[in-house]
Amino acid sequence: MRMRRGIGFIALLGAFAAPASVGKVYVRWTQQSVPAPKTLGVNDLVIPWNEEANSLLEVAKKQGYRVYFETTLEQALAAAESGAKEGAAGIILKSSASATAQLEEKERSLRSVYPRLKILVLADGGKQPKMRGWMVFKKNGILQVSSPTSQPWLDSNLAMLRYEREFQSGQTPLYTFSWDLSDGLMKEQGPSPADYALAIAEAGAFRADLILELHERQEKGLASGDQETLSDWEQVKRTIEFCERENHGAEEARVGVLTNNYELSYEALNLMARHNIPYRVLQPGEVKARDLKGFDVVIAFVALGKELTEDIRGFAEQGGVAVLVNLPGAYPWVSSAPTKTSAHSTTYSVGKGRVIELGEAVTDPETFAQDVRRLMVREQIPVSLWNSLTTLVTAYAGEKAGETIVELVNYDEETTQVQVRVKGTYGSARYESPERGCCERLKVSQENGFTEFVVPDVMIGGRVHLEPAMSQPKEETKPKH
Amino acid sequence: MTCMPWNETLAAALLAWIPLLVAPAQETKIPLVHKTKYIMGTVYEIAAYNESPQHASQAIDKAFAEIARLDEVMSNYKPESDLSRLNRNGHFHAERLPADLYRAIEESLRYSKVSGGKFDITVAPLVDLWKAALRGERSLTATEVEKLRACIGYEKIELIPPDRVEFHSTCMRIDLGSIGKGYAVDRAVEILRANGIKSALIDAGQSTIYGIGAPPGKSAWEVHLRDPSNRADPVVMLSENSVSTSEQTAASLLGNETAGHIIDPETGRPLETKYALSVVAKTGTASDALSTTLLLVGPEKGKAIVKEIADAAAIWISAAGETETVTTGPEIRLMGKTAVEATKIEGKAQSVVPASPRENR
Repeated sequence: MRMRRGIGFIALLGAFAAPASVGKVYVRWTQQSVPAPKTLGVNDLVIPWNEEANSLLEVAKKQGYRVYFETTLEQALAAAESGAKEGAAGIILKSSASATAQLEEKERSLRSVYPRLKILVLADGGKQPKMRGWMVFKKNGILQVSSPTSQPWLDSNLAMLRYEREFQSGQTPLYTFSWDLSDGLMKEQGPSPADYALAIAEAGAFRADLILELHERQEKGLASGDQETLSDWEQVKRTIEFCERENHGAEEARVGVLTNNYELSYEALNLMARHNIPYRVLQPGEVKARDLKGFDVVIAFVALGKELTEDIRGFAEQGGVAVLVNLPGAYPWVSSAPTKTSAHSTTYSVGKGRVIELGEAVTDPETFAQDVRRLMVREQIPVSLWNSLTTLVTAYAGEKAGETIVELVNYDEETTQVQVRVKGTYGSARYESPERGCCERLKVSQENGFTEFVVPDVMIGGRVHLEPAMSQPKEETKPKH
Repeated sequence: MTCMPWNETLAAALLAWIPLLVAPAQETKIPLVHKTKYIMGTVYEIAAYNESPQHASQAIDKAFAEIARLDEVMSNYKPESDLSRLNRNGHFHAERLPADLYRAIEESLRYSKVSGGKFDITVAPLVDLWKAALRGERSLTATEVEKLRACIGYEKIELIPPDRVEFHSTCMRIDLGSIGKGYAVDRAVEILRANGIKSALIDAGQSTIYGIGAPPGKSAWEVHLRDPSNRADPVVMLSENSVSTSEQTAASLLGNETAGHIIDPETGRPLETKYALSVVAKTGTASDALSTTLLLVGPEKGKAIVKEIADAAAIWISAAGETETVTTGPEIRLMGKTAVEATKIEGKAQSVVPASPRENR
């Protein structure tokens, strides 16, 4: 079971040294020959800790890279000792969900013994981002499952990263994944530049750092200077350059999710992310009543103690909607008759709001996510999309007061037009992307406290800068590419 | 800019949560190529075995290109599509159409007749009204529903061979969502066959699945059918035939007022049925159209319809595990531990509305 406590505080100790940027790409490298950083488009290499790691470190350092050893907890001490001696920039700790306590202990001890090494923790559970189908490949054939028409199934890392952000608050979430090579062509040729670009764009849009695994073919091609590989890699480099940026503001959330059990809540969180529901994970042990203010909906996956029950009641009394997932109990609101009873849930009016008790675990997270979306206050939804079922969106406060940054990630191979509605009145919208650089002005219109605009062609990743009506930029910057 | 249409991008990966076991593919040495593409508001998947993965990949790309071409013809979402043109201009004026669109409408009318009008490609305006009302964007009055009924009715579509169509209503428009994917699957099958592919599975967003040949060393493609009971586990083996599934949108877990995407045009209300329905037929067009038809008419009338069709089979299955099956050839096996005894349930007089994925939320 993946339950973390306290690690955020430990990591916070090193927060002052943590990079202010997000969307950083580290490339995992295994070949003995290393191309120049200019060729790869990154300055940070990750070398899996093994007996050849030191010699590879030497080669990479000569090329000018900052090098990190990636290691298991068991080998972390040896890797750190060697890394400190040989001039590695840091250590990246891999861990399984079940080894949280050991991870915390190891991280603490390494920081203390090797204060000059950057100690980073790799999030568990990253997956290859993609729009996927439903076929299940198995030995001797394919298993297929029918259903009514299904919408695009997007494999994204957004839910995992939102969880990590809460429990690893001192470090920008860092994750990795392995490519799915079950397809014959993919196994032979490796991921396409668009596959790599999507992985990088996703990390940037969701404000995380990524260790990018390269297919052996690409790694060898880059190492040997193969022209086709280098040409393909240009798209990847543009996306790397586009995604790393300063992190100025947090994502606005309208839904709070009380959980410290990743497995229990993951599917619901995943589908809520898929439905572009802006939520924030809250640690039950640390949340206060004031933390719930500002949410339209609070969902609880963990048992409510006395204090939290009171906080939930207070939240509902002020007009919020609390959803308790499979948490039967003698709550104060149960003393009055429910206002609605359905096959799955019971609703109680509490002050200006209500508490909905779902009498079972979330067995249908798709329907659950759609339900949560309907519970949100329409006028408060920070950002919505139309007609772009393959796109995820997140919105953040910008650098300047009143500025908002909208990040778009399109998981489809085809370029898509995206219609966007953002809460607030903005005078200008400027769009930038890896392909077209910065920035293209978009036509905006205002309607009932929202600003609407159309992004004509999101290829993979895109970013819209929204500025208040009074501070429009004086001139457009020219595209870089 | 005016306010955008409120068909927001919220409908997502239905069943994305199902834990499916994925194991490395094929013991066989024949490579498998698997590709996905987002077209017609859903994800099409094609998996093909071929000695040359490059050749299979190219064939799949051609099949996807054909589906994308059909989307340009049949989309009611794209204003420049031939269907949109028909919906704009076809009122008391015969509009000349591309062969694919004419054929798809012709096939639709065939199933409208078979179902006694329960399957109807003209009912979309009523669905839109219902959904807007339930989203709180507007009120829904009996007068409005009545007014819209004048726009609905397959018998008001006139086919003028070989390629023209005219609407005998001033406000009619059609939506091919309940048959278009099946039609596209059939065209993709033709393209794959023409390119020498002899073993492939084509899937249109899980709702229509066609098997060409069989995987190496097998006699057919194994397809598990939608099972709301999670215990009957119906399975069909596909080879040169198709299966389609229809089911009403799941009810809210948290007590919200929601509308399913299948509406009864007679009452103007969402279809209420406890069944999920899967039907096997020789073509994707047939299985797609039949799936909506049979869900609407229910098991009793549905069985009678299937009995008139060669090489077809259907299964209705409820969350409680009640099943009703009928076949004129293909076998639907129940692989689960509990095979609940069939219960006769009267089919309600209901009609289907093609779901537009972009309008789900």
